[in-house]
Amino acid sequence: MSARSQLNTFKSFIKKPHNIILVVLFVVLGYLTLVPLLTIVMDTVTVHSSEARFVKQDVGTLTLYHWKKMFASGITSQKTFYEPFMNTMVVAFLSCVMAIIVGGFFAWTVTRTNIRAKGFISTVFVFPYIMPAWTLAMAWLNFFRNSRIGGAPGLFTVLTGIETANWFAYGLFPIVIVQGLHYAPFAYILIGGILRNMDANLEEAAMLLHASRWQITMKITLPIVKPALLSTFLLVFSSTMSAFAVPAFLGSPVRYQVLTTQMFRTLNGMNPGYGYIMALVMIAIGVGILMLNQWITGRRKSYTTITGKSSNISLFNLRRWRTPLTVILITFLMMIAILPLFSFAIESFIMAPGDYSFSNFTTEFWIGAGRADIANSEPGILRNPSIWLGLTNSLKLSVIVSLIAGTVGILAGYSIAKRRGSRLATWVNNLTFFPYLMPSMAFGAIFLSMFAVRRGFIPALYGSFWLLVIVGAVKYLPFASRSGINAMLQLSGEIEEAGTIMGIGWFKRMTHIIFPIQKATFISGYLLPFISCMRELSLFILLVSPSTRILTTLLFQYNEKGWNQYANAINLMIVVIVVGLNLLVTKLTGASIDKGIGNT
Amino acid sequence: MPKIELKHVTKRFGKFVAVDDLNLVIDDRSFVTLLGPSGCGKTTTLRMIAGLETPTEGEIIINDKVVFSSEAGIDIPPDKRGVGFLFQNYALWPHMTVYKNISFGLENLKWDKAEIKARVEELLTMLKISEFAARYPSELSGGQQQRVAIARTLATGPKALFMDEPLSNLDAKLRMEMRTELKRLHRETDSTFVYVTHDQLEAMTLSSKICLMKEGLLQQYAPPLEVYRRPANTFTADFVGSPNINLIKAEVTSLDPIRLGLPGKVALVFEPLDKMNLKIGAKVILGMRPEHVALTEEPSMAEATVLTSLPSGMETIVQLKMGESYIHSVVFGDLDFDLEKKVGLDFSSGKFNLFDQESLDNLGQGLLKKA
Repeated sequence: MSARSQLNTFKSFIKKPHNIILVVLFVVLGYLTLVPLLTIVMDTVTVHSSEARFVKQDVGTLTLYHWKKMFASGITSQKTFYEPFMNTMVVAFLSCVMAIIVGGFFAWTVTRTNIRAKGFISTVFVFPYIMPAWTLAMAWLNFFRNSRIGGAPGLFTVLTGIETANWFAYGLFPIVIVQGLHYAPFAYILIGGILRNMDANLEEAAMLLHASRWQITMKITLPIVKPALLSTFLLVFSSTMSAFAVPAFLGSPVRYQVLTTQMFRTLNGMNPGYGYIMALVMIAIGVGILMLNQWITGRRKSYTTITGKSSNISLFNLRRWRTPLTVILITFLMMIAILPLFSFAIESFIMAPGDYSFSNFTTEFWIGAGRADIANSEPGILRNPSIWLGLTNSLKLSVIVSLIAGTVGILAGYSIAKRRGSRLATWVNNLTFFPYLMPSMAFGAIFLSMFAVRRGFIPALYGSFWLLVIVGAVKYLPFASRSGINAMLQLSGEIEEAGTIMGIGWFKRMTHIIFPIQKATFISGYLLPFISCMRELSLFILLVSPSTRILTTLLFQYNEKGWNQYANAINLMIVVIVVGLNLLVTKLTGASIDKGIGNT
Repeated sequence: MPKIELKHVTKRFGKFVAVDDLNLVIDDRSFVTLLGPSGCGKTTTLRMIAGLETPTEGEIIINDKVVFSSEAGIDIPPDKRGVGFLFQNYALWPHMTVYKNISFGLENLKWDKAEIKARVEELLTMLKISEFAARYPSELSGGQQQRVAIARTLATGPKALFMDEPLSNLDAKLRMEMRTELKRLHRETDSTFVYVTHDQLEAMTLSSKICLMKEGLLQQYAPPLEVYRRPANTFTADFVGSPNINLIKAEVTSLDPIRLGLPGKVALVFEPLDKMNLKIGAKVILGMRPEHVALTEEPSMAEATVLTSLPSGMETIVQLKMGESYIHSVVFGDLDFDLEKKVGLDFSSGKFNLFDQESLDNLGQGLLKKA
């Protein structure tokens, strides 16, 4: 090709909006995700100011100190890295198994049996995932904390008089239960989607050959769903691995450390270098998982192929178990989705923790002006300026983040789908997904170190609200871009071309044709970042300053100070906002978070 | 008026060559079909002319105006080329009513409200869909959706109309009806139609010229009946006509008269109508259209055994074994034949094409005589 025609090829390349979007995203995301990665690597081999004293080298000099201490220093390595690492793996694995069993069972029951109240079950079952991860952890403590470690005993002990054992109240066991339940809806959505879309003919063909229901499930359904199960397992694994709040709430009282809690201690304390190494390890595992997942879904795609909509497949008849099982499932849902909220409400009205007698009830923590004898005269929630500030900050942050992430996600999805298969699109696709693999806390830490100083034309952002916005938008972009890609892949390219050929401009095509048609999926792309941002703790915990504090970090502070009532009240507030908004948006637009997660 | 010219147009997707050095002139007001098996580059060609795809190399001229040139760096956007495009899946906007689907493009051109109304109503009447104006596409049948799509495409009055397998989603009966409709529209709108299809029957019945492609290469560009009568090579011979042409390998055993030796010791004399350069021992392929294979009671030019007989009322397709080769014959009328029956064959009614076994190209036409 001549130089001239190469130039012309280039000209026609940049004339297309999707190419420009891809190039811009490539540059911006490259800067916001790959540069941080390099920063982390550098941070693991430089001396930090807090460490200069005991490393005995100047700040900023290159050193292998952290790596040696972390991996090859006997008992120190054992305590700081190997033990938390093993704990992380055990917790992640067991939570995953729990999530898949519970979520898979619900998915199968709802899609494949004649259970009653399907609508109710599938709506409420998603709640634990929408609610902040620590909701169930706090509820667990509200019920089961014991007086040996938790001070005041929980509701269970008060009601039954039985003192809970430490292993039951804190550490591995409750963490697994709580995380498993938190991610069960995630598994439910993924597995349910597969079961719902699986071609019913496959099962019907087996039925015609006189296979029994049991044989069909074991020999046809399960093997077909297996790749999806595996991929669900991996995705849940990478989420549980990087979860911070639940181990922080349930593990810390008995010093049960996992990588994330260790990371928080070291990044916030004297040894940031350790924390960055842990972050690297987690990113490496995350990338490994993603590659494994792509390999599995890629290799097996030929037979997971989901053809057509499942027609009226004959449902498994539960017969006399129908009503009892319905009751059991609904009771279970009540326990994990509704009861915690009651416990928050109750706890927030109690004067002295652990005493549930009526005379102990008070509205002090909601509308009191603040008393010198409790909580340093902190005023009640509804009269507390710092909580109002946190609430407005949280809402403002979530709205802006969801607008940015959602819009960029749509544009990314649009451009990636348009140029599917090209190298540029593949790169951008991976870049938009990369933040998903970064543990939130590490991500926050990197942005902290990256933008603490002026970088080119970007001013020093530490303490600024916009730093939170950038971190949130990048971190939640994967959700939005997934739903964007899904939406675009469902839409035939001809729909847009029909507009192009009539001379309808790009912007008008987007706003008048593409967006209205895929409204529900696109709005899910806004909803998911909003919800995630509203309940996010670990991403922002290192980045907030007093003026930019948000509800979740406030909650964490109150909880650390042991001001239980405030923590419970704030949690109730977050849950009500998040669940309420989710229901409202679903009702109004038909968007729902399962549309967004759909094919993560 | 719009004459469309393609000069050395090539399109590569990575290493894959979708269209290879295509030269084509589509005359004004003609009805040209791009025909070929799937993956032959016909849709890509159409999309390149419309401007929906950018050619890797070459030049496209519509109405004496260069709309694309890789050398000169010209690439006029689709909407400035004055063409309409009818998509395979109609691409109706599901969130707009029929009326809105048709009027949207006009509104975008800032037409006057009253003018838009008049134009939309004109089109609704023309395509006989007036009663559906307020419906949404999902509330229409496939045939009705098709009409809406056509109305939308015609709305802005394009001088050239491009169609990408527009009838492939309709059932057989509707397809017949829409074919008639398209021919009527072609006459009424007085514009150039370029039509992509893989259905040879559609191409034969509709078009004034067929452009037959295979693996990105142009095979033959000629009026349908010429493609049928004088196919450029065995590929085009085989692609048009149903049932397929009989292609029988043969060897030239003597010259003057030219004798062809067919498998199984069958011999025929070939009387060329064109000037041909044949040598003794040349390997050729004899193309016989099934309707030119007549069955006779008494031994004629050759003998054969009936293998199957497929009567459909108006005609009967008979599969025969002649020597070592299997051939099809079409016999008109409501006849049936006994299996294993010995029949005579007569080839005096048609002109037969001879192809080269090596290049597969047409060598020339001739008549067949008894050896």
